[in-house]
Amino acid sequence: MEALSNLGIDWKLFLAQAVNFLILLFVLRRYAYQPMLDFLEKRTARIEQGLKDAQSAQVKLSEMEAKEKAILAEAHTEARNIIATAEESAKKRDSEREKETEAKVERLLEEATVKIREEKNTVMAEAKKEIGELIILSVEKILREKIDATKDENLIKEMVK
Amino acid sequence: MEISIAAEKLFMLGTFPVTNSFLIAFLVSFGLIVVTRFVVQRKELIPRGLQNIFELIVEGLLSFIESVTEDKAQARKYFPLIATIFLFVLFSNWVGLLPGMGTIGLAHSVDGHTTIVPFLRSTSADLNFTLALSLMVVLTIQFTGIATLGLFGYGKKFFVSPLHKPYVLGTVVGLLELVSEFAKFLSFSFRLFGNIFAGEILLIVMLHLVPYFIPLPFLFLEVFVGFIQAAVFAMLTLVFLKMATLPAEH
Repeated sequence: MEALSNLGIDWKLFLAQAVNFLILLFVLRRYAYQPMLDFLEKRTARIEQGLKDAQSAQVKLSEMEAKEKAILAEAHTEARNIIATAEESAKKRDSEREKETEAKVERLLEEATVKIREEKNTVMAEAKKEIGELIILSVEKILREKIDATKDENLIKEMVK
Repeated sequence: MEISIAAEKLFMLGTFPVTNSFLIAFLVSFGLIVVTRFVVQRKELIPRGLQNIFELIVEGLLSFIESVTEDKAQARKYFPLIATIFLFVLFSNWVGLLPGMGTIGLAHSVDGHTTIVPFLRSTSADLNFTLALSLMVVLTIQFTGIATLGLFGYGKKFFVSPLHKPYVLGTVVGLLELVSEFAKFLSFSFRLFGNIFAGEILLIVMLHLVPYFIPLPFLFLEVFVGFIQAAVFAMLTLVFLKMATLPAEH
């Protein structure tokens, strides 16, 4: 006992130190460690979730980009096709119209030639008739005499020929 | 210059003698509770200032404990004890290094000449505290062992039948293990007390020999020793706890 008190050991102080430490242990455990550890765990989970979300978002984004590219490419080819067909049909229509016009023109020309020929014919016939009459008149005038109608007509016909 | 192994009495509280080391134990406990409470209550998702430091300590300790126990649930179970030992011992060691620790106190006359009874003395430099702490630790180790392995399973570590393979050797080793369980109590307490008390005396002596600059390296050394002793106490507690939960190898 003498040695213990020389070392400063006193059961009251010993007990007080033990109680002090136990109180500290329980207070810290209840009010510091547990809430802090829970908080840290929650945050870790949250960060992990966030990272996972970000990764999946990245994957989705790249997928969407690929999809977008594919759609764009498809649209491009489709547009090109449409333009090509439109051009083709336009060309076809143009050539058709051209042909049509040509045919029309030809027909008109033909018609015109026919008409001209007809007219020429009529004009010629009329002219023949008129010339014949004129000749008759002039011959009558020259001869001042009428042989007879038949002779006359024969004469005229011969002359006109 | 007067060096006393025992902590000095400051005043009596009824029949309870309040010593300077007990005062420090109380102040360090109070400070730890207030600071951690402050940090925990104002914790934010994005840590700032003190919260950073506290998180660093908590996470560092937890990952260290996990590396020893290799079991997350067990690590969380042991965390409060290990962390409290580490923090309390660390700060009570460091408080002893504050300037003026050994010099400010009550005037006190012994045998005709006046000496100073310092107000503050590191708690770890008081055998009452180190003995109390190591007793609690040793008891916790024994109870943890019995709780996980059962009284019989835990007892098998120390009481080995001399009729099996290593025969008498196994029995002797088992009994030695039993003795070493009790020796832990003394080694824990005297290691911490010896280191911190010696550090304080070293600083006092150096200050009396050469008051300026020369004691500085020793002060740094004591800061380091204070940390190491706190870490050693906590680490050994953890390792012994882990060992107590492992079944006997034979």
